[in-house]
Amino acid sequence: MDPVEPMQTQLLTATGRETMKKLLISLAVLLITAVSAQAGPEEDRMAFIKYYKSKFPNVPMEEYANGAYAIDPVGRENWEAIEEFPPYEPFIDRGQVMWETPFANGKGYKDCFPDGPVIAHHYPHWDKKQKMVMTLPLALNQCREANGEKPLKYKKGPINNILSYIAFQSRGQVVNVKVPMDDPDAVAAYEDGKKFYFTRRGQLNFSCASCHVQNTGLKVRTEILSPSVGHVTHWPTYRSKVDWSTVGTLHRRFTGCNKNIRAKPMKAQGPEYRNLEYFLSYLSNGLELNGPGARK
Amino acid sequence: MIKMVRLVSTLVVITSAAWLTACSNKPMTKEVPVAKVDPAIVAAGKAIATGRSKGNCLACHMIEEGESPGNIGPPLIAMKARFPDKAKLRAQIWDATAVNPESAMVPFGRLQVLSDDEIDKVVEYIWTL
Amino acid sequence: MSLLDKHSIRQSENLERTMKSVQRWVAAAIVIGLMVGSTALLAGEMKVDAATASEAIAQAEAAQKKADSVNGEWRDTGKFIKNAKKAAEAGDYAKAIRLAKKAESEGNLGYQQAVSQSELKIPSYFKAMYQ
Repeated sequence: MDPVEPMQTQLLTATGRETMKKLLISLAVLLITAVSAQAGPEEDRMAFIKYYKSKFPNVPMEEYANGAYAIDPVGRENWEAIEEFPPYEPFIDRGQVMWETPFANGKGYKDCFPDGPVIAHHYPHWDKKQKMVMTLPLALNQCREANGEKPLKYKKGPINNILSYIAFQSRGQVVNVKVPMDDPDAVAAYEDGKKFYFTRRGQLNFSCASCHVQNTGLKVRTEILSPSVGHVTHWPTYRSKVDWSTVGTLHRRFTGCNKNIRAKPMKAQGPEYRNLEYFLSYLSNGLELNGPGARK
Repeated sequence: MIKMVRLVSTLVVITSAAWLTACSNKPMTKEVPVAKVDPAIVAAGKAIATGRSKGNCLACHMIEEGESPGNIGPPLIAMKARFPDKAKLRAQIWDATAVNPESAMVPFGRLQVLSDDEIDKVVEYIWTL
Repeated sequence: MSLLDKHSIRQSENLERTMKSVQRWVAAAIVIGLMVGSTALLAGEMKVDAATASEAIAQAEAAQKKADSVNGEWRDTGKFIKNAKKAAEAGDYAKAIRLAKKAESEGNLGYQQAVSQSELKIPSYFKAMYQ
């Protein structure tokens, strides 16, 4: 019997085991990447950017904060003229008064938000304690209620004043939404927002994506459809159309979009719209905040 | 007298046939071949197609002489050449997602945005473009 | 005539008899069916009363609720139901039933629309961006 033989066999099995192990590892890696390629927020954001870049190769990234005006030269001229005498200015001033005026109990917004008023870029965020997406309007109302004040309405009215003030003070801050991937509830909220975005609804059967991905840059009547990267940077926004003619919130805009496609709108600041805001805001990561905004 | 009776009975038959067609809720009402289309039907179809509250075709499609059209869908020109089969044009308006599930076009018939009768009129109008 | 022939004749006679009775039955069935059908249709169209209206409104509300449970309700469904109730109160049952039927069918369509998309599906025009 050759004495070397058992040695060889041993070696072979060892290499065999090694190969097996490598195979398993690469299989696992493959599986993980396959799953994450479908799901991760960062992959989503990169996919949106890739899509818009291929549609609008000459639009620099920072321009996306200007919405449709990044891709609509005619509308842009009009908009720049409006921005010379910003229609939202009086609302900022009223908001400052709100920020500085104490509640009946002597405390004020400043006590709830000690880092304020430059805080818009901290929202929306995942609130681990309350297990929900926290938005700025919701945080403002939680502050009010904690101090015995009535909550403000979420679509129209004075909430837009204080939001205008905070938005103006927060100009230039960078959107930096985080989805804690180790928290399944946070991931689920993000995924829920994404699902909402891609779901067709209403009698007209549109999803957010039908207009703002599939047909971005094209026109409905005379209106150019804006890209979703940049949708959240400029709120609240003054809209000059007749039934606005004032500053309104992002959730008021969601409501309007849903009504346009003949879907029953969700509740402003309810879980559906907050989760949608979470997803949508993540897409704008890296862009500068430029609210309050002015739009048609 | 006999002539009168005949006339009346023919009228009755025609109107009841029309009534039956209008009332049947089937999505794909078979087109009855008509030699020439009543201009009143075409005009009614035009009103539905270009009005904002009903068909609102102009929201997405260019139509000759139509004011402020969108451009999401293709311009509505040479429709007879593009849809030699009128039933295919009707099916496209009734539910474009049947052929292409990712079509952004509103399923006007399936989701009851327009009635079958309204769609028939729109088809007659669009086919003249 | 052979036995076989006799047999086949008897067979064809039998067949004829059966055919005749089948024909008779079919004719009877058609007549009865038409009678029942048209009475039902007439009854269905004639019953324009408060009870039918409130039944139609109840069905519309059930469909609306079902659509809402999956976030699939449409914009005007609630408005149609509200107007159907108003019409019923004013005694216009035909209008109430028409509006309620419309709302019910919207509720069903909205429900189907949402349920058919219960799984997130990234559309093909965007899917390629993940590569």
